[in-house]
Amino acid sequence: MRAPVGYVWADSPLHRMGVPAKLLGLLACVALVVWASAPLELLTVALVVALLVAASRVGWRAACRAAWGLRWFLAMVLAFNALLFSAADPLFSLGPLHLTAAGVAQGLRVVVRTLLVVVLGTLLTCTTRPQELVDGVRRLLRPLGRLGVPVEAAALAVGVTVQFVPTLLRESRQLMRAQALRCGDVASRGIVRRAASYVRLLVPMFVSALRRADELSLAMEARGYRLDGGAASVRGGEEE
Amino acid sequence: MSQVKKVVIAAVCAALGIVLPMAFHSVPNAGATWLPMHIPVMISGLVAGPASGLATGVLAPVLSSLLTGMPAAAMVVPMTCELAVYGLVSGALSRVVRTGSVNADLYVSLIGAMVAGRVVNGVLRALIFSPGAYTLEAWLAASFLTCITGIVLQLAVVVPIVVSLERAGLVPPRYPEE
Repeated sequence: MRAPVGYVWADSPLHRMGVPAKLLGLLACVALVVWASAPLELLTVALVVALLVAASRVGWRAACRAAWGLRWFLAMVLAFNALLFSAADPLFSLGPLHLTAAGVAQGLRVVVRTLLVVVLGTLLTCTTRPQELVDGVRRLLRPLGRLGVPVEAAALAVGVTVQFVPTLLRESRQLMRAQALRCGDVASRGIVRRAASYVRLLVPMFVSALRRADELSLAMEARGYRLDGGAASVRGGEEE
Repeated sequence: MSQVKKVVIAAVCAALGIVLPMAFHSVPNAGATWLPMHIPVMISGLVAGPASGLATGVLAPVLSSLLTGMPAAAMVVPMTCELAVYGLVSGALSRVVRTGSVNADLYVSLIGAMVAGRVVNGVLRALIFSPGAYTLEAWLAASFLTCITGIVLQLAVVVPIVVSLERAGLVPPRYPEE
């Protein structure tokens, strides 16, 4: 199991940029990726993303790590598009499968778009600490509070989720090791037995995660943290 | 259950919705067949109510896409809508359905949510995400055939997990007098 890329310490313009601006910039870049369809447009967007990676000083390895983890999935997407996208003017046919130039082009387009969005998302997590991300979400959503959106609850949920991912990953690894000690190496088995072994981990994973949730909420409430209609208060009234 | 605990349960279930697919990704095409992200969303709805289920259904795919790249960007919006409906409906039904038996309540809520999410997903794809290109056959194949393993898995594990959580005293029992 590959852990998501975390914060990478560096001093760069992207690290110093405000989180709301960074989140809006990410949305704008994703919109740009979705809009680009011609090869030249995609190449231009890819150059912009490459410049952002260089400016972030997190290193190409960290920026591309999540994208590298998707290599088999993306290879499958490329193959499906190349063989199933169209039947017109095939370069090669085998039963219902037709390898076409249009299919290869469509597959490459989807793969490049996915890669660009993944690298952009990785750049955000590499250059933003979890707590900064929570504060940024809170500030970005604040205007929606007037429309009744529970901004504090949303920011708390985002923060707890981001901070729990590494904890739960560590716990699931421990559970897998414990299972491997009892029943042999999970990864060396066939696909069905491997999946079934993951299913057996579900109950202990959920019980352990919910126990942590119980402890965290009790600790927060014991310190006087309350959520009333989406607004947070500490020690019975003082606004955060 | 307090508001703080509901939000924390929603967030922890969203974190599980990010971690579980990472475990299953060592199994080829596991996301589409085993549906590992659906399980914590439905459990969040069943134990903490519709708002928590909805929040988990929104947070899990969006943050998973940002942190791990899965689901792919093009799939995030339709998947978020589908998962949000699973969480919302499972929570709403678990609040309304009272048959007198915990297992019956949970199964009715779970199956209702599974059907509602798939129907909403099909309608959204037919009208918004793939207008004119989405057929009934494609919906049946994607919603029931490809993921039959995931459906069986959800029916097999979601209710026992919720019952285990009740027995462990981590969520309030549905029928305290029992």
